[in-house]
Amino acid sequence: MEAATAKLGRGRKKRGKTYGSEERRLAALLLTPAMAVIALVAAYPIGYAIWLSLTEYSVRVPGKWRFAGFDNYTEAFGSSEFWDAVKNTFVFTGISVTLELAIGLGMAIAMHEAFKGRGLLRTVVLVPWAVLTVVSAITWRTLFEPNLGLAPQILEAIGIGGDIVWLGQEGYAMAVMILADVWKTAPFMALLLLAGLQVIPDDVYDAAKVDGATTWQRFRRITIPLLMPAILVALIFRTLDALRIFDLPYVLTGGSNGTTTLSLIAHQELTANRLIGYGSALSVLTFIIVMAVSFIYIRTVGGNIRSLAEEG
Amino acid sequence: MKTPRFMAVLVAMVALAIAGCGSDDSDEGAAPDAEKATQAKASGNVTWCIGKDTTGAFGTVIDNFNKANPNANVKLLELPEDAGEQRRLQVQRLQAKSTECDLLGTDVIWTAEYAAQGWLLDVSDFISQSGDKFIPSTVDTTEFEGKNWAVPFNSNAGFIYYRTDQVDQAPDNWEDLYKEAEENDGVVYQGFRYEGLTVNFLELVYSAGGSVLSEDGKEATADSQEVKDALTFMADGVKNGAAPKAVTTYKEEESRRAFESGNATFMRNWPYAYALGKDSKIADNFDIATFPGFAGNEGAGVLGGYNLAISAYSKNPEGSLAFAEFATDPEQQKLMATEASLPPTVTETYDDPAVKKAMPFAEELRSAIEQAQPRPVSPVYPQISEAIFNNVYAALQGEMSSDEAASKMNEEIQKALETF
Amino acid sequence: MEASGGVVTPGTGVREGEKEREEARAVARRGPRRNWVRPLFMWIAVVFICVFCLFPFYWLINVSLKTGSDLASSDIFPPNPTLDNYSSIFKNDNFTAALKNSVIITTVTTILALIVGAFAAYALARLRFRRKFLLLAIILSISTFPAIAIAAPIFKLWTDIGIYDTRIGLIIPYLTFALPLAIYILTSFFKEIPKELEEAALVDGATYFQAFRKVVLPLAAPGLVTAGLLTAFFVWNEFLLAVTLTSSPDAFTVPVSVANFTGSQKFEVPLGTISAASVVITIPLVLLVIIFQKRIVAGMTAGAVKG
Repeated sequence: MEAATAKLGRGRKKRGKTYGSEERRLAALLLTPAMAVIALVAAYPIGYAIWLSLTEYSVRVPGKWRFAGFDNYTEAFGSSEFWDAVKNTFVFTGISVTLELAIGLGMAIAMHEAFKGRGLLRTVVLVPWAVLTVVSAITWRTLFEPNLGLAPQILEAIGIGGDIVWLGQEGYAMAVMILADVWKTAPFMALLLLAGLQVIPDDVYDAAKVDGATTWQRFRRITIPLLMPAILVALIFRTLDALRIFDLPYVLTGGSNGTTTLSLIAHQELTANRLIGYGSALSVLTFIIVMAVSFIYIRTVGGNIRSLAEEG
Repeated sequence: MKTPRFMAVLVAMVALAIAGCGSDDSDEGAAPDAEKATQAKASGNVTWCIGKDTTGAFGTVIDNFNKANPNANVKLLELPEDAGEQRRLQVQRLQAKSTECDLLGTDVIWTAEYAAQGWLLDVSDFISQSGDKFIPSTVDTTEFEGKNWAVPFNSNAGFIYYRTDQVDQAPDNWEDLYKEAEENDGVVYQGFRYEGLTVNFLELVYSAGGSVLSEDGKEATADSQEVKDALTFMADGVKNGAAPKAVTTYKEEESRRAFESGNATFMRNWPYAYALGKDSKIADNFDIATFPGFAGNEGAGVLGGYNLAISAYSKNPEGSLAFAEFATDPEQQKLMATEASLPPTVTETYDDPAVKKAMPFAEELRSAIEQAQPRPVSPVYPQISEAIFNNVYAALQGEMSSDEAASKMNEEIQKALETF
Repeated sequence: MEASGGVVTPGTGVREGEKEREEARAVARRGPRRNWVRPLFMWIAVVFICVFCLFPFYWLINVSLKTGSDLASSDIFPPNPTLDNYSSIFKNDNFTAALKNSVIITTVTTILALIVGAFAAYALARLRFRRKFLLLAIILSISTFPAIAIAAPIFKLWTDIGIYDTRIGLIIPYLTFALPLAIYILTSFFKEIPKELEEAALVDGATYFQAFRKVVLPLAAPGLVTAGLLTAFFVWNEFLLAVTLTSSPDAFTVPVSVANFTGSQKFEVPLGTISAASVVITIPLVLLVIIFQKRIVAGMTAGAVKG
């Protein structure tokens, strides 16, 4: 699309700049493969998914289908499972991202200060990130398995309920899921924030100290504001990932006990129940929710992208 | 000038999608004109897709067949141990019209669904030629709309396992069993939110004389006293500690492990656990008993088991049928009974002395199977089962009262029956 | 590329060769009095971080060395360590097939993503054309798609055109999801390279393409490595699409195989073998991470610090 318009606008002026046609042709050439792949695999399926969400395919008779308009969406909005999934997804996202940010910040500060151990820490901290999501889920499921797992025993030793069947009860299963996710991603956040910390020049701190600022004040008024860009980027990446989470609940609990997320419920309706229309509607709703959040991203951190798009 | 072009592309894509949709359906005909599989010829490659071969018995049957039929090569493709996962993986392949699986090990409850979708070959001729080789109730599980769509492979009916060093014998009714469980180490069963819970639940309901689906399969009958009683009974059991809270995370394997590690006095499980139990640390301290009754009635079993169905997309239906015939031969059925505690579907196998030795409860098992009831037969069975196990699970967790759970279950079953 | 004070690693914001100066400043920051308190806390934090990050992985290794009844207990050290699980998983055809598929799919996707992405990134970083911002926004927004939204349509599409359960059937969608990240990283890296260098080449009569090949690419090598690593990680890890679009050893990948592990033992839940398989597929990643940790961090933080 960009290539086509570029060709059309041959030699035309925009904001006082002229674009050479060789440049535009080259740009078109270089960009076409990427855009073609993206169009095929992202644009077309989304269009198709939207279409499917407006239909209903028979579960009884193969091949039979009818146009259902917004019926699937109405059904979703009236379904308590859907709203539970929405709630679970947002609760999971809110809590895990907050924890990951807090713990990540703590780790980043520790890594920033702990000069001697820094190289070791940077490596150690990437290990959870290197572990496959599926593997991590299996590990945590094993750790919390009733009768066999180590975690309930440790927790019991420090006084947290021997009675709790961790993965088998609502609320507790979500806690384990959040723990597993925090384990895997807080280190990643730590690295992002560490990079941000390292750019803050020391002179600023020195000046503040001379002015009599306490550690806390220095943290609040220097560190946080200067770290804000890094925090925002980390926040947005993690939020979008958390909203889309699938691997973890699928392997950890199969979605039971309040851990069904949006991606998971769409998947279940599509595969287990073979409700293509309804499942597609749920997928589209998931898509809309995630895109809405990412739109907020483009707005707030858009400056970042703009700078990339700017000339030279 | 620029945006319309973008819009044009978008509209074109949507139109393409719609067009693609239209031609899609004219390719898929309605199911009923299914092909028949009548010829059994032991040749070529056959891939047998079935759940995990926990005891190696399937492998032995395959070896026997391959040796006896040098022109044929049967290969085992193991699916996960969880039946729900097995179904998901089979359905995924069938929807994709994959030729990978020739012979499917299908749980008895999938027959109606698969047949309705045209995924299976009609084997009615083979079944009628088999006369009365098979136990009739097992043949019933292969029927849908008057035709047979699979060959009964092994059957199943639940039993109660009990610790002989803790109780003298298993009580003959559930109420007493729960009482004794409370006094000892408890009872374990399959209480996780899945098909197994539907089975456990229906065993109580059927015993009480209730049902969840009408005879003709058109109406939900779950809002009944029997259902409510069963729900209350199970929920109270967890509440009072007769069944440990962890029971809501158990499937067959978890409950078996809990029993084998000495953490329970009673266990409801399928016969397969017998052979494995004899290999464990409680080998000398347990025994098996027939089903207790509920609400003053006789015990009622729910029929389980697996059938062998031939995929409509198989490239070698003759070879698949030949293997199915071989696997239901009395010799092979005996092998699976003795090595894997898999209840045969062939009537005469139960009389074999070797079988009786390996499964001392063989006689009871056969009668249990003969009398067991199938789960509701319907092409939308998965949804019906989900309606059942979701609500039973909620009742077990104390999230819903029995009345609420029963009426919600009824509502959801009715809705499933009205699925387009 | 030498600025005063040492070589800049793009994205990390740290100048090498300045380590000693920074260390001195850190010590000064801590102040003269009570300078055992902060180091103590820091060391406690270091230990905590190490345990937190490494324990679950250790647990995995622990379980993978146990078999039989040992698995039923939760000992912290395997009472009878054995490598049986490891030898049995390599005898499991499904697992080795999955390994092969994962390696092939990851390699091909990464190479394609780098090539296609590098072209696109060059255009975005250097060339001038209209509505670059929109294009970049669209490309980036692809990476935020929930995979479930396209899983069913692609399943149907692939089934119809016959590439369900094939490696190419996975490579195509993976490429789509990997491209945005690769393009974003590479664009940042390309932008760091001073334009004067290319312009000098252009003045000498080279075409844009030659300038790209001979001047920009070599200098952007670190960026390529980073983008390649992150792409490879993503593809190796991906689960939802792999589970939806494959079913046989012809094409399924390692995450699918591990999740569906039936184990090659005759027994129960094959925790031992699942753990062994998990360790086997994670160790290469951990090693890669150790070797390339600077690059990976640079990639992750590309753009984060610029804000």
